[in-house]
Amino acid sequence: MSNIVEIKNITKEFKVLNRREGLKGSLKDLFSRDYKIVRAVDNISMNIKQGEIVGYLGPNGAGKSTTIKMMTGILEPTSGEILVGGNVPYRNRTKNAQEIGVVFGQRSQLWWALPLIESFKILKDIYGVSDKDYNNMLALYKSLVDIEPLLHKPVRQMSLGQRTLSDILAAFLHDPKIVFLDEPTIGLDVSMKAKIRTLIHALNKEKNTTVILTTHDMGDVDALCQRIVIIDKGKMLYDNDIEHLKGFFGSYRKLKIRIDGDLKQYAERIYDELSDFKVSADDEWISILIDEEKAKVMEVLSQLQSSYEIRDMQLEEISTEEVIKKIYEEGVQ
Amino acid sequence: MKLKRVFTLTRAGIIESLQFRLGTVVIVIGNLLYLIVVYFLWKAIYSSAGTDIVNGMTFSDTLIYLVLATALFNFMEMYIVWEMGRDIQSGKIALNLLKPMEYRGFMFWSYSGSFVTQFFFTFLPTFIVVAAVTHGAIHIGINMLFFVISVIMAVSINYSIDFLVGTICLYTESIWGINIMKQVIVMLLSGATIPIAFFPEPLKTIVYYMPFQSIYNAPLSVLLNGTTQPQSILTTLGIQLFWCIVMMLLSKLFWKISLWQITVNGG
Repeated sequence: MSNIVEIKNITKEFKVLNRREGLKGSLKDLFSRDYKIVRAVDNISMNIKQGEIVGYLGPNGAGKSTTIKMMTGILEPTSGEILVGGNVPYRNRTKNAQEIGVVFGQRSQLWWALPLIESFKILKDIYGVSDKDYNNMLALYKSLVDIEPLLHKPVRQMSLGQRTLSDILAAFLHDPKIVFLDEPTIGLDVSMKAKIRTLIHALNKEKNTTVILTTHDMGDVDALCQRIVIIDKGKMLYDNDIEHLKGFFGSYRKLKIRIDGDLKQYAERIYDELSDFKVSADDEWISILIDEEKAKVMEVLSQLQSSYEIRDMQLEEISTEEVIKKIYEEGVQ
Repeated sequence: MKLKRVFTLTRAGIIESLQFRLGTVVIVIGNLLYLIVVYFLWKAIYSSAGTDIVNGMTFSDTLIYLVLATALFNFMEMYIVWEMGRDIQSGKIALNLLKPMEYRGFMFWSYSGSFVTQFFFTFLPTFIVVAAVTHGAIHIGINMLFFVISVIMAVSINYSIDFLVGTICLYTESIWGINIMKQVIVMLLSGATIPIAFFPEPLKTIVYYMPFQSIYNAPLSVLLNGTTQPQSILTTLGIQLFWCIVMMLLSKLFWKISLWQITVNGG
């Protein structure tokens, strides 16, 4: 498989005016030449292969959108090289546009007042899609989702979920090599989220389209991405597959037990006994975060069972969400 | 540019503007009210002047001119500054920049559909009514052909000016003031609200050397002064063609520079 995206040491700096406070400050700002340089993206490199689904994660303001804008050609990197499908995106924006599709969260590229089918027809002509390819694509869409009732509905009358679905279909219509999805499931209900994940997955499989997905919903990541890239403050923190991520901080599992009596007190006692692990208590459960490299869950459990009367227990795998949260908060050691 | 893209966008524009029937009705009513005001205003001006001919124009000349100017305004006004400003503020411009088509062309052809509907729904009826009511005040002949050519160039000049002003929104991120200023300047200096014949002398000459009069004054003078010799018509068209090219190049250049600024500095 060949690389569809090649990024080498890109950096993006913005010049930002230093704003002052108050009315007087605002007036001064009108004539100010006092700029500071903000580095939004700092020396990032990655290669993405044709057909991959990559989750591009990071806390708000991490530089995700800036990177995506550079890949689409809206922004030019301050230094470094980008190739998307063999093109330098910011030099051949219109040519690059033919090869990519985009869905930007809440914004729609569809024609507001027109039925969806009209938007599809316009896009077909703008992108120069042949009748045959267009019909095949529509047939594929019909086999994947129930779009028949949507096709003749004006976009402005659609619910957010229907519109997002339509926008995703519109982005794939000209069979681009790569599709950028910027928070596609934001604000959607559970069943719509599932529908959209299935759709993205199916289109990726069917057309071997590369998908770059930014999201804050770890459900999206678990459902779709084989590989994730995490950045924060413009720097790359992690770039590997998702299985790796879970073992990244040691193999943690969470053991939850229930004991009659004052849980807080028990929690303290257990913490004194085990000392290696974090112990916490809420109204119902005592949670013990166990690092399996130090002790097996079963050993801990039998040790506890010998001294306490355990009424109930649960075992939780650490979710992607928790690992990501840990990375955002603590960084990578 | 592929012709198919152009047609599909025009077609979409027509369908889109037909969706808002009520809007069209409101515009027509608004224009009627405006024209009533214009009628009484100029009637007062003529009666206080005491003569039938002011600045070489009779009352009916002036009225015909202004009615047609209003009809032309409805047909040519594009609200591109609004559209661009909104695109920029909402960030939707990113999506339009990612179409495999130049933004300038994309915006123009997206809008062109409303030319077609406005032409048939407001300009043509007004024109027919004026021609019928005034019994031959409008000379029907070869000047119609020149008029069409003139209007096409006027549309292009008007669009270039709009696009130029819209591009400024990239820097200011505000729309309201800029749009109002543009509208007032264009409406006044193009002769859309007051015939240029009424302007005082130094201003009249200055206005003739500006691009604005090519938008409303030029096509209307070609249409209404149907009997004048072809030489003066050709001069008018020549000046229009000059501004057409100059403004197009200017707006394209300014857009290119601004866009480059954005890709380097971010929006």
